[in-house]
Amino acid sequence: MTGLQDNGPESSPRADPQGDPFLRTRFAVPKRPTTFLRRERLVKHLDQALLTPLTMVNGAAGAGKTLLVADWAAGRDRPVAWLTTEASDQGCGMFWAYLLQALRASGVPLPSEVGLPADANRVDHTLLARLAEDLGTRDRPQIVVLDEYDRVTDAEIAEQLEFVLHHAGRGMRLILVTRTEPLLPLHRYRAAGDMTEIRNAELAFTPEEAAALLERHGLRLPVHAAGALVERTRGWAAGLRLCALAAQERPDPETYLKEFEADRTTVADFLLAEVLKRQTPETQDLLLRVSVLERFCPELANALTERTDAGAILAGLHRENAFVEHLGQTWYRLHPLFREILHAHLQMRSPGLEPELHRRAATWLRRFGSLAETLGHGAAAGDWEFTADALVDDLAIGQLFTGLHCDDLAGLFSRMGPEASSTATDLVRASRELSRGDLDRGLAHLRNAGQSLAEERTSAGDDSPGLAAARLSCALLEALAARLTGSPGRAESAAEAAEKLQDEVPAHLLDEHPELTALLLTHLGSTRLWAGHFEDARAALTAAACCSGGASTALPREESLGHLALIDYLNGWLGRAERKARAAMTETERFSLPQASGSGIELLVLAAVAVDRNELRQAQALLDTAADSHHVMRDPVMEAGRAIATARLLLARGDTQAALAAAESAVAADVISPWAKGQTALVASAARLADGLPETAAELLRAVPDDQPACVVAAARAELAAGRPVEAMELLDRVRPEGRNGPAVTVRASLVRAQAADGAGDSATSRRLVAQALHEARRERLRRPFLEAGPWIRPLLGTVSLRELAAGWLTPGTPSPGGLPRPEGPPSTPVVEELSGRERDVLERLAQMMSTEEIAADLYVSVNTVKTHLKSVYRKLGVNRRHDAVRRARELRLLPPRP
Amino acid sequence: MRYEIRVEGHMSETLTSAFPELEHVVMSGQTILFGSVVDEAHLYGLLARCQSLGLRVLEMRQLPE
Repeated sequence: MTGLQDNGPESSPRADPQGDPFLRTRFAVPKRPTTFLRRERLVKHLDQALLTPLTMVNGAAGAGKTLLVADWAAGRDRPVAWLTTEASDQGCGMFWAYLLQALRASGVPLPSEVGLPADANRVDHTLLARLAEDLGTRDRPQIVVLDEYDRVTDAEIAEQLEFVLHHAGRGMRLILVTRTEPLLPLHRYRAAGDMTEIRNAELAFTPEEAAALLERHGLRLPVHAAGALVERTRGWAAGLRLCALAAQERPDPETYLKEFEADRTTVADFLLAEVLKRQTPETQDLLLRVSVLERFCPELANALTERTDAGAILAGLHRENAFVEHLGQTWYRLHPLFREILHAHLQMRSPGLEPELHRRAATWLRRFGSLAETLGHGAAAGDWEFTADALVDDLAIGQLFTGLHCDDLAGLFSRMGPEASSTATDLVRASRELSRGDLDRGLAHLRNAGQSLAEERTSAGDDSPGLAAARLSCALLEALAARLTGSPGRAESAAEAAEKLQDEVPAHLLDEHPELTALLLTHLGSTRLWAGHFEDARAALTAAACCSGGASTALPREESLGHLALIDYLNGWLGRAERKARAAMTETERFSLPQASGSGIELLVLAAVAVDRNELRQAQALLDTAADSHHVMRDPVMEAGRAIATARLLLARGDTQAALAAAESAVAADVISPWAKGQTALVASAARLADGLPETAAELLRAVPDDQPACVVAAARAELAAGRPVEAMELLDRVRPEGRNGPAVTVRASLVRAQAADGAGDSATSRRLVAQALHEARRERLRRPFLEAGPWIRPLLGTVSLRELAAGWLTPGTPSPGGLPRPEGPPSTPVVEELSGRERDVLERLAQMMSTEEIAADLYVSVNTVKTHLKSVYRKLGVNRRHDAVRRARELRLLPPRP
Repeated sequence: MRYEIRVEGHMSETLTSAFPELEHVVMSGQTILFGSVVDEAHLYGLLARCQSLGLRVLEMRQLPE
């Protein structure tokens, strides 16, 4: 058990997900003071902790729980992971991030595939499963101590701990040190004998132990006198310790302790006041002032007292074992119990001083400490200009959008009132409103920030280094505003400004905040994509997707991969689009991001891919997921993506009216997106074509410029349907969509050519082209073009040479490799539109000879709903009667053969 | 809803100031804190505050309105 107190960056090379240092003191096993009394009966009981999965050391504040476990842990011959939980860990993402780091800090390597939570309030279940699995494979159980576990009040965290503990099996020994009963199912552990429990009564000092403790403070007391003291304090460790301190300097300690026994004041209150008034005025002042701090070092304490004597005072207090605990290095904290009482004394003695103390702490921490603590104290002081400034100057504004501290920061700044006014507060307000999707307010705040920055630049000179961070933050928000409003010009100038500013800000800050650059590139890429500049968009998005930086950049990585997937989809590369969209979702999963944090564009791409594969139920499920998760980032690309996927699904289901309405749903943006317009025209023309209006269909596509191959192919198809095969071929020959596009475009082009050949009576060419299309489509499971093609293709697909190519993925049945002979007779209509889940349910009941009313009752739906389902089943199966529907479904193996 | 919390020992002025929202009365080796409690969360918060100040809660009960 070594190295816990100095687990510097060397022993825990993994950076905090935010580039913010983990509070290392929280992984330190507290040091035992010299007056610590080891009590063998407790140590022996605690040894049981090695044999049971769960151990609970449960007692009042100051009962001596922490020191007991710390002393025991220090005596182990193997690493013990120690974590002092904090109230700010309420989000389970934060809790698990710290717990994983505690394991690493104790010298236990964790495989990287375990991952890291990126969001303060979420942790992915698979991460917990991976952790449990890794722990489960250990030769020796890993001991994990969670101190002050009572601060964890979230039932979800308790459930997750229980899950990991259960699945790690013999690989984990969990010790909870807590004031209150944890929310774990303790009765189960107790009943199974899987739990070691040390409770308040056992922690209480016996008269003999009390006498031994007092002796360590230089006080000799007969056991009967110690017994009276134990009675008054009920064996409470903190009380006995204070007794010793209060009596220590008295000429007649025994009489003093008698007085104490007779006093009726509450024990802690009385003793603390006694011990406090025994201290020098300087010490008292210091103790009261540091009560606003979670932890402190001498320099920080000096900042609060505006003196220079904290080093000596703290060392003295620690030596005497009064009030302060040593956390390793130069850091201390007040004993939690005394901190609360000292805090009450501070408020009593110096009302109104507290905000000033927080302000001083924030000022000191801004120079020497962590950003999170600086912001916390700045906010507690109510100094919002300072707090916003600290965030902006640190280039940390991207953290309002992504990463572990995202919700913490949003919560912190939600307390900021409208009276706070500076460039930085406007930038923070703009970020908050934009991240919440309130475009109008966000843009107004951003305008204010831009104006005051411009004024400051004129007065302070152009290259004032102090302004570079604010200007870079402003550029990031400008890029986001450009993305949300669909203004490519604005995005480009923001990117240009950012490019110049990157050299002006300190390089280490940029390195510490990779999310800033990643977010900026994503916004730029999204805006370029909207404007139809696919190559430029790809450059920016690829750079963002390749960004390192772990959890803090997970969101921009996810989003940029989702956008890249959309580009592939628009170019007709379904497989590539699917792979990128899945990679985007993996980023979300690996870092436990909530689904709703990004724009969810990858779900829409997957839905559109599923439609092209005629996997309509899957498409619907994806669209539902995308709609359910209430994505707040509503940019034009996402809106258009949703419109396209929805319209295509409706089209595939034959609902042309709804498809038209969905495709034409307005997307608000500053410039028109060529591809969004093209896709709308594509859906509209397909709908018209399906309605038997080829002229209208052709007309709709004439307005679209030639550079969109998918539209050209559709236009050719419309011309053909309108009886103009020559024009159709001319269109295809002029644009040659086969060149650089994926199967979703080229297969459709081949089918148009095949249809034209078929119409001209050239069946050989037609068959060759369909074969080529089948070849290309098979790999991608691209079914939709064949279903849309029309009746001419059905006989062709039935021919021997093509039947093999279509079997197994496009038509039912598997290719028969010299196996069973095919059924006699001409193959019936091979292509069937997939039945929905409900339609299948209805069909199955139909086969059981149930009436419409019986089916309705069985499925808990209305008779009319059943009738609607029946109609679409008939349509899809190409039949008009129940009996035929069942027969047809058996032929197509949609139902099991007749029993 | 109104509650009273009975704790062991006489609480000093300083300590009762940690419960500014409640009134208090000291009697026969006990202190009674009483007053309006906003909701359950507030109630549990008060209990936690007692605990972190090292107070021993003897009794807690709801008072008639």
